[in-house]
Amino acid sequence: MAWHEVAEALSLGDEEALGVRVAEREIALCRSRGELYALDNICTHQFAVLSEGYVEDGCIECPLHQGRFSLATGAPLAPPVTEPVRVYPVRTEAGKVYVDLPD
Amino acid sequence: MFLSNTVIGRPGDFAKDRTDPAREYHWPESLQYVPDWVYTSPEIYQREIERIFQGRTWNFVALEAEIPKPGDYKRSFVGPTPVVVSRAEDGSVHVFENRCAHRGAEFCRAPRGNAKEFICPYHQWSYDLKGNLQGVPFKRGIKKEGGGMPRDFKNEEHGLTKLNVATLHGVVFASFSADMEPIEDYLSPEILKDFEAVFKGRKLRILGYYRNELPGNWKLYHENLKDPYHATLLHSFLVTFGLMVAGSKNAMIADASGRHGTMASAKPESVEGVVDDASKKEMRAYREDLKLADGRFLNYVREFDSPWSVTMQTIWPNLIVQRELNTLGIRHIVPNGPHSMIMLWTMFGYEGDSEEMTRHRLRQGNLMGPSGFLGLEDNEAIKFVQEGVRRSPSQRGVLKLGGDREGTTTSLIDEAAIRAMYRHYREAMGF
Amino acid sequence: MYPGYDMPAADARETRELRLEIEEFHAAYCWTLDRGALEEWPEYFTDDAVYRITARENADAGLEVGLVYADSKAMIRDRAFAIQHTQMYAPRYLQHFVTNVRVLEARGDTIKAQSNYLLLQTLVDGPTTIHQSGRYYDTFMRERGRLLLKERQCIYDTVLIANDLVFPV
Repeated sequence: MAWHEVAEALSLGDEEALGVRVAEREIALCRSRGELYALDNICTHQFAVLSEGYVEDGCIECPLHQGRFSLATGAPLAPPVTEPVRVYPVRTEAGKVYVDLPD
Repeated sequence: MFLSNTVIGRPGDFAKDRTDPAREYHWPESLQYVPDWVYTSPEIYQREIERIFQGRTWNFVALEAEIPKPGDYKRSFVGPTPVVVSRAEDGSVHVFENRCAHRGAEFCRAPRGNAKEFICPYHQWSYDLKGNLQGVPFKRGIKKEGGGMPRDFKNEEHGLTKLNVATLHGVVFASFSADMEPIEDYLSPEILKDFEAVFKGRKLRILGYYRNELPGNWKLYHENLKDPYHATLLHSFLVTFGLMVAGSKNAMIADASGRHGTMASAKPESVEGVVDDASKKEMRAYREDLKLADGRFLNYVREFDSPWSVTMQTIWPNLIVQRELNTLGIRHIVPNGPHSMIMLWTMFGYEGDSEEMTRHRLRQGNLMGPSGFLGLEDNEAIKFVQEGVRRSPSQRGVLKLGGDREGTTTSLIDEAAIRAMYRHYREAMGF
Repeated sequence: MYPGYDMPAADARETRELRLEIEEFHAAYCWTLDRGALEEWPEYFTDDAVYRITARENADAGLEVGLVYADSKAMIRDRAFAIQHTQMYAPRYLQHFVTNVRVLEARGDTIKAQSNYLLLQTLVDGPTTIHQSGRYYDTFMRERGRLLLKERQCIYDTVLIANDLVFPV
């Protein structure tokens, strides 16, 4: 695991999501209730792009079939998703945002 | 669909099978006559679909043994309507129309399988195993572009059309009517008795499938199995090899409503039977010198709580339960217009059958099915009836055997069960 | 694909003679059936022959049922007899076509082969139709110089049969 800087996170509004490519991974950056989160951007159900979906109250809703995941844990919260999505630690330091990703 | 390549004249070519909304339908006189239009009229067919198959009837759709695990499903039909039979995660069985709630696509294409959900390929609408609408792609539109469903769109209002389901001893029935009597009551005590002899307390083992298209009206099949008269006259195999001789114990049982029936017979103890000289003269094909090279397959292994060795049940409107010695199966009728029906056969044995018993059932299966020593001839006869009825100006058939009585008889030479069926039919159809 | 017949084809050059012999077998077999000489049909089989006609959906799922199910020459004889002497059916012309012969394996007197078959049927006052299309999975034995069928699995794609199948394939 290594920390990677993600400059785009700074301009992310609340209850918004953005897809970024970091260290050759597709990541969804989300801000909800003021907190920042990072998770794999591909839905575990039918491979839709999560960052095209909706962020609300600490959850992200996939645009394709409205499956929902917890932003904090990646746990599936509403059908049809049953497999969790992977989440990554986020850290803010000295005005910069870092995401901890596997090598 | 094809009409088994029916000769001369497509449906609609003859006055009898033309659509005519102004036409009035009258049943001639008594139940001793059957008007041809019951077999040929497109309007009558349409009325049957609405009043019978989509009405207050229980329709066979599946055997539980076909969908044993959660996620298992199969395509099936209620009347001509395609449905899906599915076992949900909690083990419950559900039946819903095979028609996407969006634009109507028949989304389930594989005959059977296992799935976590049903997704229509056209727009990816996804449904859970109970038929509830789960996901509508881009329901909220696409960010920066807009679109999507109106805010008041509720998934609960746009699920698949669900049917009423009843399961009895591993047999699954469905109905478009939400208000149905329990399946045991629907069958009636007389019919339930022989149904239970086959299914109660048994775990089925599916042996395989047959499918065929019979170029005849669906009611002709019910009639055929309520017609003990033809048994020794059409099926000379039965007589030639002593399976059914005039003088063995028989019954044609009809339930009180007349719609269901059980054609029952008890095999004489020895294969050759005991045939008196008078009977021999009556039976078209009796030959003393004829024996099978391998007659083992006609043996009857006693495994049922029943005095009968053969029970052929017609359960209105779409199910036949076959217990012919030890070869067991169901036949599912799918009406396909007035001139055609599809028949879906499921042959089975029981969990725990020995290897030898299974082999015995498979050998005995040669009696039935679209190549059956017996089965084939009924298919031919039904085709002949439909062709004759369609193309002739004569208007009706005759049911006078046994006079005018209706219901259960012990004589083979009686059409009482067919008259009873048409009494029910006339009530259900408003004649 | 059928269990026991899923090996790749044998070398065509080495089995060319054998393939011709099998094609000749098929031509004779089809001629027997085409002219309705059912009393000859059992003679193409060994005494312990297995003969089954079943839909592809059954074969693919490993289900054992057969439209026709015989596991001895005696049962094959009984079927020939029943068709000729007891069965009622409308008259028809039949033409059997067998093509695409692939020799799979030849080990001494046991030969495995696979072919396609087509059955065309003509009813009185009717058109000629494709009644059944399928595949043979055959095991031949050489007995006294002649090829005989020890096993013939007829697996048909025409899952929805037009009414019935009267004659074997």
